[in-house]
This record gives sequence, C-alpha cells and structure tokens, in this order.
Amino acid sequence: MGRYTIRRLLQLIPVLLGTTFLINYMVWQLPGDPFAGRCGQRPCPDSYVSAMRAQFGLDQPILLQYWQFLKNMLSGNLGVDFNQVPVVTQLADAWPITIRLALLAVAIEAVIGISAGVLSGLKRGGFIDNVVTISTLFLLSLPVFVTGFLLQWLLGVQFQIITPTVSDEAPIMELIVPAFVLASLNMAFTARLTRTSIVENRRSDYVRTAIAKGLTNRRVVGVHLLRNSLIPVLTFLGTEVGSLMSGAIITEGIFNIHGIGGLLYRAITGQDYTIVVPIASLLVLVYLVSNLLVDLLYGVLDPRIRYE
Amino acid sequence: MVEVLSGPTGRGSYSGALLEVENLHVEFHTRQGVAKAVNGVTYSVNPGETLAVLGESGSGKSVTAQTIMGILDMPPGKVTGGEIRFRGVDILKLPEEQRRRIRGEGISMVFQDALSALNPVFPVGWQIAEMFRIHRGSSRSDAKKKAVELMDRVRIPGARDRVNDFPHQFSGGMRQRIMIAMAIALDPEILIADEPTTALDVTVQAQIMGLLADLQRDSNMGLILITHDLGVVADVADKIAVMYGGRIVETAPVHDLYRTPAHPYTKGLLESIPRVDLKGQELYAIKGMPPNLLEMPSGCAFHPRCPYRREDCATAVPPLYPISGTRGSACHYWREVVDGSR
Repeated sequence: MGRYTIRRLLQLIPVLLGTTFLINYMVWQLPGDPFAGRCGQRPCPDSYVSAMRAQFGLDQPILLQYWQFLKNMLSGNLGVDFNQVPVVTQLADAWPITIRLALLAVAIEAVIGISAGVLSGLKRGGFIDNVVTISTLFLLSLPVFVTGFLLQWLLGVQFQIITPTVSDEAPIMELIVPAFVLASLNMAFTARLTRTSIVENRRSDYVRTAIAKGLTNRRVVGVHLLRNSLIPVLTFLGTEVGSLMSGAIITEGIFNIHGIGGLLYRAITGQDYTIVVPIASLLVLVYLVSNLLVDLLYGVLDPRIRYE
Repeated sequence: MVEVLSGPTGRGSYSGALLEVENLHVEFHTRQGVAKAVNGVTYSVNPGETLAVLGESGSGKSVTAQTIMGILDMPPGKVTGGEIRFRGVDILKLPEEQRRRIRGEGISMVFQDALSALNPVFPVGWQIAEMFRIHRGSSRSDAKKKAVELMDRVRIPGARDRVNDFPHQFSGGMRQRIMIAMAIALDPEILIADEPTTALDVTVQAQIMGLLADLQRDSNMGLILITHDLGVVADVADKIAVMYGGRIVETAPVHDLYRTPAHPYTKGLLESIPRVDLKGQELYAIKGMPPNLLEMPSGCAFHPRCPYRREDCATAVPPLYPISGTRGSACHYWREVVDGSR
C-alpha cells in the first residue's frame, strides 16, 4: 500500500503540470485586453497598458510565462493582482470560508442522504420510500440556483428564519442553508445510491447468514448490511468533494458568501488572470488529492481490493 | 436465557424427539401465482441422529430448512400450516426475539456457498467470534481466543495466523470449514447443513462430510443433511427422507432405502447413479421434468413421470403408507416397487 501511494503521488506531477499549463494557455488566449477597460469611460493610455503588460509579463512568450507561474506557485509568492493587492491574502481570506461551506455540505449529504437511503431501502414501497423517491426526484430535477433562490426567498424573506445573505465572517450557523443548497443534488443522488445498494445487499447470502447466526436485527442491518452497502456511497461522496468546491460558485453568488466562488467570479468578469489561474489550479489539486484519498479509502473499506 | 432454552423444556428434559416438523405447508406468493413449495412435510431428528433430506431443486428441502431456521423471506414466503417443535415447543408461534435466541444456540445452519455466505469485509475470526460476543457477551479477546480454538477444531492449518484473514483468502474447502466452525460455535443441538459440499471438489467433499460426522459424534448433536447427491449421504446418514414436489415420498433407514427402494422416484434416482459394473450401457434417466410448483400435477405429483402409473394416480394423493415401523412410502403401488415388477 505504501508503494502504491508513492506511485500514485508521483503520477500527480505530470497531471498537475499538464492541467496547469492548459489553464494558463487557455486563459491567456482569451480575446480582449484585460487592461484596455480599466480607465473608466475612456480607453487607457498606451503607456499604462504597456507598463501593466510588462509588470505581469504578458509581453513574454507563453512558455516563459508558464515557467514564471510555476516558480511563483512553488515559492508561494503569487504576487499582486491587477489592482496591486497581494493575491495570497485574497486566497487566504476566501479559502477557509469555501472549505467550511464544502465540508458542511458533505456532512449534510452524508447524514441526510445515507439515512434517507437506508430507511427507504429497508422498506421498499413503504411510505418513507415513496417520500424519499419523490423528494429526491424533485431535488434532482431542480437546478441549484432555483433551489438556492427559492430557499433564500422562502426562509430569508418570507419567514425570516435566516438572514438572506451571509455576513463577512461566514459563521457556521449562517452557512447551514447555503450548504444545504450546495449539497442538494449530491444529497439526492447519495440517497438513491444508498437505497439501491441496500436493496441489492439485503437479500444477499451473508445477510441471511447474519440472521441465521441469531444476531439482533439492529446488528444485522447496522453492521453486516450497512458496512457492505456504504462502499459505493463513500466513494461517491469522496470524489464529489472537488466538484462541490467548484460548484460553490453559484451558491456563493446567491448568498453573497466571500469564498473562492465569489472571488473567482469577480476575477473572471474583470479578466484578472492573476487570480483565476491560481484558483483553478488549486481546484485541480483538490480534485486530484480527493480522488487519491478515495482510492486509498476503497482499499480500507473493501479488503478484496488489492494494491500491487 | 429464555424459557425455551431453560425451564421445563430445557436440555434433555423433553421426552419426545428433539426436533419435529409436522405437516408443514409453505407457499410463495409470486406475480405468476401461488407456488406451493412445501405441502405437508413431517420429519423428526433426535440427538446424535443424522437425517438426510434428499431431493432435486424445487423439491422443498431447502425451504423446509429455512422455515426451521426462520430465515425464509416473508413475503413472498408464507407458512400456511403445520408445526415445528423444538424440544416440544412450537417455534413458529414464538415471538421473534425468542426465535432469534434459538438461532445459533439451539439450531444452527451451514450454507451451500461459503464464499457468498460469509461477509466479505470482515475477518473470518471476527465473524466466528461474533457468536460469542452477541450470544454470550464475551470480551473481544476471549471471543477471538475461542474463534482460534474452533478453527483448530475444524482442522484449519495455522489457525492462529489465519484468524485475521478475510474469506476470499481461503480455499473453498477451508471456507466451508469456517462456516462450520461458526455454526457449531455455541454447541447447538441441531445442525442443518444445506448442501454443504455441493460447491466443492470431490476429495474435499469427503473431508467435509467426515468432519461433520466427527463433530456430530463428539457433541451428540442432531444433524439434518440436505443434499441432492445420493452418494454423499450413504456413509453418514442414519435415515433418509426423499422429497418430491414439496412432499416426503419415502422415508427409511439408509440401508433399507438403498437395498429396496419403495417409491418409484427413489428407485429411479438409484438407477440413475453410474455404476462400474454396468459400464458401456446407457445410463438410466427419470423421464420428464420436475413439477412446476405453480401447477402441481393432480393426485400424486410424480405420476406424469412414473413407470408404475395407473389411472387413480392422477386423482388420489397417496398418503405416506407405513411399510414397517420406520419405513414409509407415498406410493399406492409400493408393493410392486419393492417386488421389482414393472
């Protein structure tokens, strides 16, 4: 397992190099001059544009720019953005908020999704099963921004249970509803996946053996059935952590959360690539690492998986 | 302990047979209709006795065993009549919690395919130890120690080193030994082995049958051996119940049955075993197909395939005619079968 982990970590290097180069290349290929529109109503003077281009190295060939980007990433010094504000401090302010939001969303997905899936899978065709099937279908067919605006309006404006937007510090309590919105799609999918898995394993031979051993029903379901049924579910939850972070852009926009989603959105509209590129690269890294962790976790959950 | 396991009907104080199945009826309600899987099965087992239940797929032998264990899927399964008395108490009428305590403690079961019957994600020692932890409240380390002893007892080489291995790391025969270790962990009075050797090589089959016979002799438990293989049962069984279409068609001490079968079905089964002295001749086969449980033939379920068939076989269901004290045959013309005239 140790050798496997090292090999997988080494494999990350070419993937990271390739993806970050593509991100750099595509962003610099976008049409339009990022500095042309920065002087109010009038076009910017040529002297300003050329000075800025020189400062951010836009006059150099793409390979050289990429080399500079790699050096910056590795040294942790990301320089300043187009407004001369250090990039690192902006990221340091935004990341913790998004991570908090994403972890809360994963927790909601896991707890509600798995419980709903287990309950509906155990009594197929029962009342709970119907409720879960209908409500997950509802969530799955609604786009996230609809769910988001709907809950914001309903809970924040009509009933005034929550504040419609999240304050700057983004305390956990205010993040619950946004996290629920962010989690909604995956939660519905988790519930369905769990249900299918439970239904499939319930009639399996080892569950019959567990009953024949004279175990209590609670133990048959809670230990023997659940342990096997959760293998695909946990893998799904793990792989979705990365997409949850990038999916936060919409949710953060709706609830005015100052996480990386909002930062990324503003940077894209302002064509500020000094921020877009590091965030996109970090999202790639999160995705790769969470996938690796899931693969390793899979081996722990299912002893039949072999790493060689 | 519940009343069933101690008290007036406790170990040894009941005078009748240890386990009695009487006139059991089980149905399955399916979309195609009602499948009558078990239609009035009666048998009994005493301590130290081995009953072989013989029959082809769909004869109801496994369903009967699953009903005894209380692991039948209900629905679609449904017990529509009869009693299963364990030490004189009808366990079908017991509340679920008491039935649960009988499983493993009083009656235990070994399944056919140990690979799928063992939980793939837990070590085998853990799965055996679970019996002691749940039923006896043993500590983890005590239970594990007992698991190693049991693995030794079922002759798994290097038990101490293998106790933390997972089911997929064992061979088929070793896996079946682990199943057996788990089933005998709490010293049950009845062990039901449902086709325990069907998934195994012939040489391993003999080892497993020998192991079961040894364990039974040591602990004096009653053994119900369910099989479709006549060859497997000859050496170990005391008596045989042959099942067909959810009924027992013949019951006899094992040697009587082999010497003089008293039912056309049993006779057909015996004649379809390949024999060295008849090498080169065409092998006998019972004509026709096993009965469709959704549309049982009228009268005797075997009559469409029976060489001794007369008109009344299609109308009158044959009862289990007593032949001698311990023998019975559910054939109107059992005398002709015994005499060998066809």
